[in-house]
Amino acid sequence: MNNSNESAEVCLVDDDSSVLRSMQYLLASDGLAVHAFNKPEEFLAHAADHPVSVVVTDIWMEGVTGLEILARMCAISPRPRVIVITARDDLAARATAMAIGPVAFFIKPFNDEEFLATVREALTQAKN
Amino acid sequence: MSERDKIDMKSGEHRETADPSREEQLSLLLTITMEVAAASDLASALDVVLRRVCEKTGWVLGLAWVPNQDRTVLECGPVCFCCGEGGLTKFRVASEGSHFRPGVGLPGRVWELKRPAWIEDVTQDPNFPRTKAAAKVGLKAAVGIPILSGDEVIAVIEFFVQESRAKNERLVKVIAAVAAQLGLVMERKRAEEKLSSTNEILESILSSMGDAVIVADKEGKFLAFNPAAERMFGKGAAQTASREWSHQYGLYLPDKVTPFPPDQLPLTRSIRGEEVNNVEIFVRHDEAPQGLWTRINGRPLRGPNGELSGGVIVCRDITEIKKEEFFLFDQSRVLEMIAANASLAEVLTSLVLLMEAQADGLRCSILVLNQDGKHVRHGAAPNLPAAYVKAVDGAPIGPRNGSCGTAMYLRRQVVVKDVLTDPLWADYRKLAEICGLRAAIERQRVQETLRERDARINLAAESADLAFWVIYPEQNTAWMSDKGRKMYGFDSKLPLTRDLICGRVHPDERAAVHAAFDRACASHGLFESEHRLILPYGKTRWVIVRGRCLEDEHGSLLELIGVTIDVSAQKQSELQLQIQREEMSHLNRVALMGEMTASVAHELNQPLTAIANNASAARRFLERGNIDPVLLQQLLQDMVADSQRAGEVIRGIRALVRKDKTVVRSALNLNAVIADTLRLVSSDIVLRESVVVTEMDHSLPQVEAVPVQIQQVLLNLIMNALDAVESRPPAERRILISTRSLNGESAEVSVRDFGTGLPQDRPDKVFDHFFSTKQTGMGMGLTIVRSIIETHGGKISAENAPDRGARFFFHLPAARGDSKSQAA
Repeated sequence: MNNSNESAEVCLVDDDSSVLRSMQYLLASDGLAVHAFNKPEEFLAHAADHPVSVVVTDIWMEGVTGLEILARMCAISPRPRVIVITARDDLAARATAMAIGPVAFFIKPFNDEEFLATVREALTQAKN
Repeated sequence: MSERDKIDMKSGEHRETADPSREEQLSLLLTITMEVAAASDLASALDVVLRRVCEKTGWVLGLAWVPNQDRTVLECGPVCFCCGEGGLTKFRVASEGSHFRPGVGLPGRVWELKRPAWIEDVTQDPNFPRTKAAAKVGLKAAVGIPILSGDEVIAVIEFFVQESRAKNERLVKVIAAVAAQLGLVMERKRAEEKLSSTNEILESILSSMGDAVIVADKEGKFLAFNPAAERMFGKGAAQTASREWSHQYGLYLPDKVTPFPPDQLPLTRSIRGEEVNNVEIFVRHDEAPQGLWTRINGRPLRGPNGELSGGVIVCRDITEIKKEEFFLFDQSRVLEMIAANASLAEVLTSLVLLMEAQADGLRCSILVLNQDGKHVRHGAAPNLPAAYVKAVDGAPIGPRNGSCGTAMYLRRQVVVKDVLTDPLWADYRKLAEICGLRAAIERQRVQETLRERDARINLAAESADLAFWVIYPEQNTAWMSDKGRKMYGFDSKLPLTRDLICGRVHPDERAAVHAAFDRACASHGLFESEHRLILPYGKTRWVIVRGRCLEDEHGSLLELIGVTIDVSAQKQSELQLQIQREEMSHLNRVALMGEMTASVAHELNQPLTAIANNASAARRFLERGNIDPVLLQQLLQDMVADSQRAGEVIRGIRALVRKDKTVVRSALNLNAVIADTLRLVSSDIVLRESVVVTEMDHSLPQVEAVPVQIQQVLLNLIMNALDAVESRPPAERRILISTRSLNGESAEVSVRDFGTGLPQDRPDKVFDHFFSTKQTGMGMGLTIVRSIIETHGGKISAENAPDRGARFFFHLPAARGDSKSQAA
């Protein structure tokens, strides 16, 4: 296990608090520091004055459309690496999401190893 | 404040004080306008003007002049205003004795020219006939002002002062402005008077009319409902929705039993813009239990620009005409019978029935002259006692032989007012009394004819699924028609009793049937029941039983007669229908589940994801060997909670999709059911990028309902609303769900979308079977919704919302014992 990324922070956005907490545990179990947000606005406010390298987000959340939230995340400067997790597989959404910029798209429930590997890779890329 | 502002303010103040006339004029105008508006007629308005102008301007005398009836001269009056000094009265008296033709004197001049005139000194003026009188009291300057209504001078006012004054344009303008105000106000007052007198005339025409007149605006609110209408329809203008009118006022189709279709009512049609001619409606209500016939014409009412503003109908009572029509119809039928070679007895019986139909309680008999020319023979008397018929048949004719015998003898019309007192009936008095030809005739007839009819009824009963029976409670015996014995499974020889008959009733319903029977016997009233019969060999029948008690002449219970109708076939199809309805309802719920795939997947995926994540995290922590027991416990606890959550979701789905045989109602708070339902579809709402806004009335009464069915209603309405807004841009995909308490007696739920709306012509069509505007879907959803609401004793309606979209709203009665509030 590589502990060099221990200090790097992953932002986590999901409006379902039990899913959010479990994701937090999952990332923490791999030694990753996590900053969790229950509401997309809270994350966007945080991103306004903190550099964010990787964000893992749900795209279907109450009060905001999925593509709108993605567009706003990808507009953050410098641009973070976005990993989408969603409960719904929708080809159109996936295609649009990839066009806007996310590096990966996971359907809940997902393979933990694959997910963690993607997060780590994103963190490494962000560093370089 | 800057220096410049101060200066400006000062100069402003200065301007105002330097020009007092403007202020004076405004205040005068304002005071007078208000007072004149409040004045009830021209005289009091003129009084105000004269008084105020004198007070404000210092002129001492004000006079008013109005044209006489034929507008040839001006006459002084009706009011004047003198400022204090007694001397002025002399001039006033002189004026009051004067008349001026157009052009003569100051008033005549103003009248002719229709504009103000100023005289610096009246004693020097060549055209001032009242010079002497003016000189005596020292009046000098004068001003006359016309009061115009349109182009017509309705009055002239003049003012005097005891000094010579040069023309003051400003003052003239002030008074002229006042006069103009007065003119306008009077013009309006005249119009108002004219209008109110027109209204009064209309009102009195309406109230004295024999025809009913009803006027309603385009919302169906009654604007006029004259006394004839109140008489015809049994009550006044009740403000109910137009679809309730048929029910409210007892309006029926000519068959007298089918309620008049609300959307075809003449008033409704005329409000829609149609001209309605000669529509006949049968009206029956508490005030007119026999019913009456009315012929109705209707016209739409239109506003000044031709837009529909309502409708008016005139209804004429044509009951008498109708009677005549029916009479003629029956008459021609009798003629047809004669033409068709019907027997004499048949023709005569028809004639008697035709006569009897002309008035309630009328009984007729036709007697024919025997071939010997000396005796009467029975012709027809279907509703007179057999004893009477028998006694009269063969009676001799003569000068004092009843009404018929006498008429035959004298060969002319004979009228007898009272058979019990008329001498012509002296020999037949006993017969009349026996037969109760006056008050008691009805009961007599029933008892006498009952047995005679037995055979006939039996015959009729055989052909229908009808059992005829008589129970004699005193003797505990009973009689039943052959068909009845078959229906109840009794042998044709078996002597019957009440207990035997009641013994056939299904055990579950036996107690209730006994109770109803005892009630009827105790009150000598009616007996009615719907129950099952259990026949030998276990066969079951559904029957409807109706009976009534008959009394003897002393008023004690004689017997209970009645019929039993076999309705097993109908019941069977009703049950079949019920099963079909349940099948449909279930299919609808399954279909709804299908439509909610996103929500279902999401609702299940969320807890499953959390469980997988937590398990995976726990494994990793364990692999790293540094797991904190508290953290592990937390992870396990979360997993348990999420499994339970997933279980709840599955339970919810199963509850919705399950075929539930036992539907139990419970007290529900609709606000809570709405919240639960929204939670169920929250993901679909999010995925369809729509917004649902709720406006809950927290004083909503609880309702008694089956939770799953109400949820089904809401799901249908919400899914429909989501479909309806789908074509709108995301920002406009709005759905509004609101609840409100209707006087605490029922709870209303409204689901409103901002989509394309419902069919314009008949929004209610959406509740019809197989009506669908969607590509998918069976068109059964709303039909099922309506049937659910109606089985709960509620009502659902659909309408197009004022600006855009559709609104569905239903109400359910408050649960018993919860007529107020009980918010969750």
